[in-house]
Amino acid sequence: MSVIARSVGNALRNKVRTSAVVVILAVAIGLALSMLVANQAVAAKVTSLKASVGNNLTVNPAGARGGIGGGEPLTGGDVAKASAVPHVTSVTGSLTARLSNAAAATDAAAAGTTGAAGGPGGRMGASGTTSLTSAVDPGTLGNRQNSSSGTTTGGTGNAARPSFTIPVSATGISGSLTAAGEAINVTSGSDLNDFSDASTQALVGTTLAEKNSLQVGSTFTVQDRTMTVAGIFDAGTAFDNNAIYVSLAAAQTLLDQAGEISTMTVTVDSIENVDATKTAVAAALGTTRVDVTSGGQNLESAVSSLGTVQNISLIGFIAALITAGLIVLLIMIMVVRERRREIGVLKAIGASNRTIGVQFVLEAMVLVVMGSVVGAVVAAVSSNSIVSALVAGNTTTSTTTGGRFRGTGTGAPQAIGEAAAGGVPGGGNFGGGAFAGANQLIGTISTSVGWQTLVLGVVGILVIAAVGALVPALLTAKVRPIEVLRGE
Amino acid sequence: MLEVRDVVKVFKTGDNTIKPVNGISFTVEQGTFAAILGKSGSGKSTLLSLLGALDKATSGDVVVDGVNISALPDAKLTAYRRDDIGFVFQAYNLIPNLSAKDNVMLPMEFAGLSRAERSSRAAELLVQVGLEEDMHDRKANKLSGGMAQRVSIARALANNPKLILADEPTGNLDDETGELIIDLLRSLSHEKNTTILVVTHDHALAAKTDRKFRLARGRLTEEPVRAAHLH
Repeated sequence: MSVIARSVGNALRNKVRTSAVVVILAVAIGLALSMLVANQAVAAKVTSLKASVGNNLTVNPAGARGGIGGGEPLTGGDVAKASAVPHVTSVTGSLTARLSNAAAATDAAAAGTTGAAGGPGGRMGASGTTSLTSAVDPGTLGNRQNSSSGTTTGGTGNAARPSFTIPVSATGISGSLTAAGEAINVTSGSDLNDFSDASTQALVGTTLAEKNSLQVGSTFTVQDRTMTVAGIFDAGTAFDNNAIYVSLAAAQTLLDQAGEISTMTVTVDSIENVDATKTAVAAALGTTRVDVTSGGQNLESAVSSLGTVQNISLIGFIAALITAGLIVLLIMIMVVRERRREIGVLKAIGASNRTIGVQFVLEAMVLVVMGSVVGAVVAAVSSNSIVSALVAGNTTTSTTTGGRFRGTGTGAPQAIGEAAAGGVPGGGNFGGGAFAGANQLIGTISTSVGWQTLVLGVVGILVIAAVGALVPALLTAKVRPIEVLRGE
Repeated sequence: MLEVRDVVKVFKTGDNTIKPVNGISFTVEQGTFAAILGKSGSGKSTLLSLLGALDKATSGDVVVDGVNISALPDAKLTAYRRDDIGFVFQAYNLIPNLSAKDNVMLPMEFAGLSRAERSSRAAELLVQVGLEEDMHDRKANKLSGGMAQRVSIARALANNPKLILADEPTGNLDDETGELIIDLLRSLSHEKNTTILVVTHDHALAAKTDRKFRLARGRLTEEPVRAAHLH
């Protein structure tokens, strides 16, 4: 009989005790593995969160946001410069313009009342025309802004102004993301797929489509081009739905703004590099030429709360492993004490300390292996609920703090929103809405076991076995062979 | 040949100094079946532990076939116990969850014999000590006292030792079985030319040995053996 077979036999000698030990070990090892799985899952989530949310920078011409303000436009060259900055994974440009209703513009021009100079007067600073009728009525806000800006043109004072319409916002894009770097929520039809300058595809907001009785496949005009509705999108707000998306190249051609870009969205590889990259992009493009904004800082609180979960699970993993190690240690010390006489016999008949030590180490390993197998089952059953318990427990606090951040975060879009109510699409990427999605993102943590988890788990268990078995094995060396004559 | 020269063992318990073995000298020829008689507490077990290298003497020499085991380092003592000594205990001291044969194979495993060699030699030895083959695979804790002691004798013989030390080998057995065990030891000592030293307080056993020593107050004296038992 080999030493291995003898060790297995010894481990199973006292079946009741062995079962009890295996159950206790399984709970400890199962808990350790669950914690490890949680740790890995959260770590993976943190990495993906950092690389996917709150890592956008928005570049606008200095002094301009969308259709208001001044300064020089961005160009394709700026896109190339920004792409070359370290940690930048992608740069997309978009061109936003406001289109007035062609018929209303003609009327206004005929009446000779167009206040074309100085921003939102007359045509509200529109840079093109469309056959579409705006889905937003001017109302009190529109009239007030129209009239107040109208007075600066040195017109006819408080004389009654001709009726006007709120322009339709048109954004030229080169992918399926908005100027703010978010996905366009297409509710019917499909995304744009022809991004050439001859493209006639357009996405139309729901309210705008409704107002103009458009469906997928319907046509309308922008400047002198007939566009076809490829899809209808819902941006969630009446203001944002009073808009169309066309291809960037087509927008540049139609609006006679070749090579110009009103907003660039720069994606950074990780949220940690956002600040440094923000500075680097501004420096690359010229700090006086561009305004660079980032909107994702408040997500750091979500990431850091996940980091807490990661730390808790790591501590839990280590604590559970130490517990398992102590269980093995105590059991084996008990076994060695119980078998002092037998150890004495083995020594008396010629076993070396090493042989006996190896036998006890193997015996402990057998217990650990059995505990691990049962523990793995325990972990498989429990790790998902442990992870969700840990994450749910921690995001309660994160949403509380998140709410506070959110308040300050949405402050900026609100300010812009008021200015924009007159017809200016915000070019900034403000993270209020993005943070609301953080909870959902955290909620999708799944506990899949990767190979690193397995390797770590195996290493941890081996450490348990080593610690648990070495001490008792050393104790056996101290047992003197004369023990065999004790009590005789 | 076993040669013991002026062996002393001193234990200190608190302020008291005990000398269970106090200047013992004797010589036994190879192949002798000898008994050491003594009352309990006379130092029998202590002397046995010194002869079997289970413990070290405070002074004096134990020489087995020219090798002074009192001077050996611990590692060599393990090898000495493995190769040159066989033990038979009163309580058998078999490993309870191993079969009779596995118990006999253990010392050979420690000596590095191959599995096949161990297996065949163990079977052979068990047959020699009178254990039928259907008992070979029985767990040690399921054997009767007499059978267990036979297995323990087979285990003592496993590595062809020069010396077998038996500590009260009949102490846990009924008279009849005890006698069979004594006869077995006696015949083995002669057949295999192995020195067998039996420590006992059983006079019936001692009467069957070639030589007889008496241990009292740490000192050893030889007693004459009745001629009828000499071969």
